Amino acid sequence: MKQLAVRLFDPLLDGLANIGRTGLFLLGLLTALPRGLTYPRELLRQLWFVGAKSLIIIMISGLFVGMVLSLQLYYTLSIFGGTSALGTVIALSLYRELGPVVTALLFAGRAGTAITAEVGLMRATDQLSAMEMMAVDPMAFVASPRFLAGVIAMPLLVAVFNLMGIFGGHLIGVTWLGIDNGTFWSNMTSNVGVWKDVINGEWKALVFGVFISLIAVYQGYTAPPTSEGVANATTRTVVSSSIAILALDFVMTAFLM
Amino acid sequence: MPAPNPSSVDSAAAPLVRVRGLTTVLSGQKVFDALDLDIERGKITAVMGPSGTGKTTLLKHITGQMHAAAGTVLVDGQDVARLPREGLYTLRERIGYLFQNSALLSDYDVFENVAFPLRQHTRLQEDLIRNVVLTKLQAVGLRGAARLMPSELSGGMARRVALARAIVFDPMLILYDEPFVGLDPIALNQVLKLIRTLNRELGITSVLVAHEFAAVREAADHVHLIANGKLVASGTPGELAKGDSPWTAQFFGGALEGPVPFQYPAPPLAPAFGFSGARS
Repeated sequence: MKQLAVRLFDPLLDGLANIGRTGLFLLGLLTALPRGLTYPRELLRQLWFVGAKSLIIIMISGLFVGMVLSLQLYYTLSIFGGTSALGTVIALSLYRELGPVVTALLFAGRAGTAITAEVGLMRATDQLSAMEMMAVDPMAFVASPRFLAGVIAMPLLVAVFNLMGIFGGHLIGVTWLGIDNGTFWSNMTSNVGVWKDVINGEWKALVFGVFISLIAVYQGYTAPPTSEGVANATTRTVVSSSIAILALDFVMTAFLM
Repeated sequence: MPAPNPSSVDSAAAPLVRVRGLTTVLSGQKVFDALDLDIERGKITAVMGPSGTGKTTLLKHITGQMHAAAGTVLVDGQDVARLPREGLYTLRERIGYLFQNSALLSDYDVFENVAFPLRQHTRLQEDLIRNVVLTKLQAVGLRGAARLMPSELSGGMARRVALARAIVFDPMLILYDEPFVGLDPIALNQVLKLIRTLNRELGITSVLVAHEFAAVREAADHVHLIANGKLVASGTPGELAKGDSPWTAQFFGGALEGPVPFQYPAPPLAPAFGFSGARS
């Protein structure tokens, strides 16, 4: 009975301990952040790496998500005779939900894993220890710029994703399915609010950016210095980030409604 | 450039590193058991011992990367474990550390790797940084490799670049962690020559963790042999080679059996193979 309880509770306790360690790591990261800002070149390099280099996948995905949305919603709205609302529904779906969530999942898969693998390999090859020995704090030089770059890049990537999604939706809805161009845009602009829809989505993006970057940097920084350790850390980044994104999305949607 | 510690002026004759009563426990196992040893200034001191005896751990104590359960490690009169972060970083600017795997920053080329400490801790003009870096690379024979990436270097070249980076601040102390591992004889001799040159011409105190007694014999002024968490022998390489203690006999004589058993501790052999222990 005792063994069963241990088996049941051990993973739970491990999970809680891991959350605690991540929280402590975040504190260390925030403390190192002002010193991290003294490395602007490193921040720019990371912005290029996690932001600019994610643009292609974000743009292509946004385009196709918008196109699929347009097809699906046209079918659904035509049942109720409401195809004129297509632009509005596409924009609301993207701004409020799909833009932040899909971008965050893609970002975790592309940039998050890359950050974890890079930092984990730096740990495994003693590069972080070498920095310590050269009196350079790796929390400030390595962790902070990567964390900050992720936080800055996410809202910008979400804006690009939404833009491409609306373009894709317009392409299918107006060009292919024949919805009136004026109706598409006028309904959208009159029903989508900057603060209650666009900015709310950007808030979500910012929070997702904080969590994905934190998880990615933490997993890399604490990865065991073996090939298996780095591989497991990379997997944990994707799994933990995805669960965190979906859970946070629910919580934030409930509060931001 | 980092300023010398004022206390070093008073204690110029005292050992640069003084370890007293160092006790370290890692994963429940005692690595050091009240270890005492000194590293003399301006000399090359080799730290030797069986694998897993804690030689790299000792280097980590000297650089403050690890804290002991008990005891003190004084470097240039400063208790490393009691230094605040800023003090520890100031001390580390005066210590060069050569990692076993070189630990070059993989995103930077050779030049930027050597320039890295200068860029982080000084505001030198770019042309001055260039001159310092090229001088150090010339000293290790790799000025022509300045624009190569670490992935394009052989093991010996990477070790020499790491050495150039370690001496870029003209440190008072260099710690070499297994500098000869994986090197061919030519590269080994090059690194060996560099270690001797740096010590004798620049007066840098060196601590050499190595297993290669032939190389140690050529380079080191003094050898500490550590085993079972204690200093079991100490002296010049010649003295240790002639020593008659079981430790020196096994370690330098290469005997299979001795204080360090060939077999890892295990339960009796017969039950492990499914035989009953005693015959009737």
